[in-house]
Amino acid sequence: MNWQEVLDRSSLFLLQLTNGLTLGSIYALIAVGYTMVYGVLELINFAHGEVYMMGAFIAYHLVSVYDVPFFAAFAIALVICSAFGIFLEYFAYRPLRDARRLVALISAIGMSIFLQNLALIIWGAQQKSFPYKKLPSLFSSMAFTLGDINLSYLQVFIFLLSVVLMFVLHYIIRHTKTGMAMRAIAQDAKAASLMGINLNRVISFTFAAGSFLGAVAGVLVGVYYNAIWPTMGYMAGIKAFAAAVLGGIGSVPGAILGGTILGVAEAFGAGYISSAYRDGIAYAIMILVLIFKPAGLLGKSVVQRR
Amino acid sequence: MKMLYIRVFILLAVVFSLLPLDLFAQDSIRLPVVSPYTGGLASFGEGVKNGAMLKAEEINASGGINGRKIEIQMEDDLCEPKEASNVATRVANNKDVVIVIGHLCSSATLAALPIYKKAELVAITPASTNPSIGKSSGYYFRTVYQDEFQGAFLARYAVEVMKFKKIAIFYEVNDYSMGLKTAFVQEAQKRGVTIIGEEAYTSATTDFTPQLAKFKIMKPDALFIPGYAPQGTLIINQATKLGMKVSFFGADGLDDVIMLSNKNAEGLLVTTPFLAEAAGGSAKAFIEVYTKKYGKEPNWFAANTYDAVGIAAEAIAKAGANRQKIRQYMVAINSPEKAYKGVTGSTYFDKYGDCLKPAFIKVIKDGQWGSAKEQLK
Repeated sequence: MNWQEVLDRSSLFLLQLTNGLTLGSIYALIAVGYTMVYGVLELINFAHGEVYMMGAFIAYHLVSVYDVPFFAAFAIALVICSAFGIFLEYFAYRPLRDARRLVALISAIGMSIFLQNLALIIWGAQQKSFPYKKLPSLFSSMAFTLGDINLSYLQVFIFLLSVVLMFVLHYIIRHTKTGMAMRAIAQDAKAASLMGINLNRVISFTFAAGSFLGAVAGVLVGVYYNAIWPTMGYMAGIKAFAAAVLGGIGSVPGAILGGTILGVAEAFGAGYISSAYRDGIAYAIMILVLIFKPAGLLGKSVVQRR
Repeated sequence: MKMLYIRVFILLAVVFSLLPLDLFAQDSIRLPVVSPYTGGLASFGEGVKNGAMLKAEEINASGGINGRKIEIQMEDDLCEPKEASNVATRVANNKDVVIVIGHLCSSATLAALPIYKKAELVAITPASTNPSIGKSSGYYFRTVYQDEFQGAFLARYAVEVMKFKKIAIFYEVNDYSMGLKTAFVQEAQKRGVTIIGEEAYTSATTDFTPQLAKFKIMKPDALFIPGYAPQGTLIINQATKLGMKVSFFGADGLDDVIMLSNKNAEGLLVTTPFLAEAAGGSAKAFIEVYTKKYGKEPNWFAANTYDAVGIAAEAIAKAGANRQKIRQYMVAINSPEKAYKGVTGSTYFDKYGDCLKPAFIKVIKDGQWGSAKEQLK
């Protein structure tokens, strides 16, 4: 092996690693939304992927139709999606809170199908992309180039924004009253409400925060891959769900870890093993982890939970 | 007693209102046109629809087929094999249908093919180019070239005109893409080109960076994308974002307006069966009428479907509304003298139902599709 080959191989490795980390931070952002809702309600919010899709579409609509500057559109999309998360819980899950868990799950799937079709009616089936002239020009330039390795500002932005948001979330959960209430509800909802915690308000907050992060991921993906379409939430939602399960559903650090692992595994799987089986590789990892560690990487074991 | 009459009357009214309208309009001939009309390839389908409608209107305006009006029945197969076989079964079971136009995607056509064959129903595809379609039926005809020709043509162009030496291929896992790739590789290798890498993707993916990163290290002169436009535009974008400096080229599946909104696609070369600039006399009139009616120039799907509907109408007119007779009529269009002369040139079929049609090279220049400077003779 001559030095050129070594150089090529190591640059390929680094390229795949940066791709994987970018993808992983997006999965992590979505996965956190699943895991937070599961933590407080023990409900898998299958409409979460659709909130992610809505985020991308709203930002796209604002930028391309109303000429709103990108970052302002980004912020508005986040606010709308957070409100939408609260709305979703209020209409689709709250009336069913005391019903069996399967009922709420069906409601979630129904909501997901409804939202996909709503987007199909509003925006049509064709793939949309942000008009490149209206995106910050920084996004298409390189932050760092060394030989064949390069890193775009957009990749750096996605990665840093995800990390910052995760720290903020961690702070909220660990060091604020609302966060404490969330943790209390996760342990025992009935006892928490007996202690005077306003269950509805905390659950609404959880949905708002989860949807906020989901919408961040949606807009970032829309810009990064330049493709937005009504069923984009389906695959992303399933992957992020797998990431949440991999990390241990209900655990926020687990979702972050799971998302990152899944993203990197996908990039390396597609890059080194076979690109046609990339999704299979991601799921195979999830299955393997669950066989040996059924509660996920950072999940609590069932005995401790109940 | 009076109540009974009223009840019977209401019952009859309900029954009649439930009957399909065409029971009373027996004289119109239904022509199913199958294509994706929604989903990622909807803009291809729009051309199919407009081309078919325009031809049908013209036929009806000049008296229809032996006095019977032709009625286009659009069927959506979403470019999915599963959906295509559902649609094909429904169409084939309708005894009033004597000939079908469709499908668009090769994978969809190959899924529908055995169903039409069993029903002894002739189908004309305006767009499916996979080589095995003609060879495995006997009931399938096409108004478009097939990929053994297109692939070889593109390989010749890449070598003779573009002088590419090292080519990487990024193909989709479907019949169109893989058939085209095989034909291209065969001819390119014969001409001394090195195919330095092949990678695959599925239509559901939007992240192509892991495969592109591999290509980047290999440093090809050009990247060949024998896929469809929605993925093609993403691939070109992501390759540019990765800092790849290569020429991109593809085939007729990339020939779509979606490419024009992608500034990184400037200079993209594709093959196409229909080029407005190279079109003959009758095509000029077609382009003019079409552009006036729909507010945009016809794409190749519109032109090929326009001719396919023309052939179907002529077959029904000359052979009668009978599946077997129509097949005999179609098989007999087998020489240049008997050819159907349409806007895409003259169409006649070889023993497989394939036809010889020219291909052209298009390029994106200043955000517009146009004829490439050099065409192969």
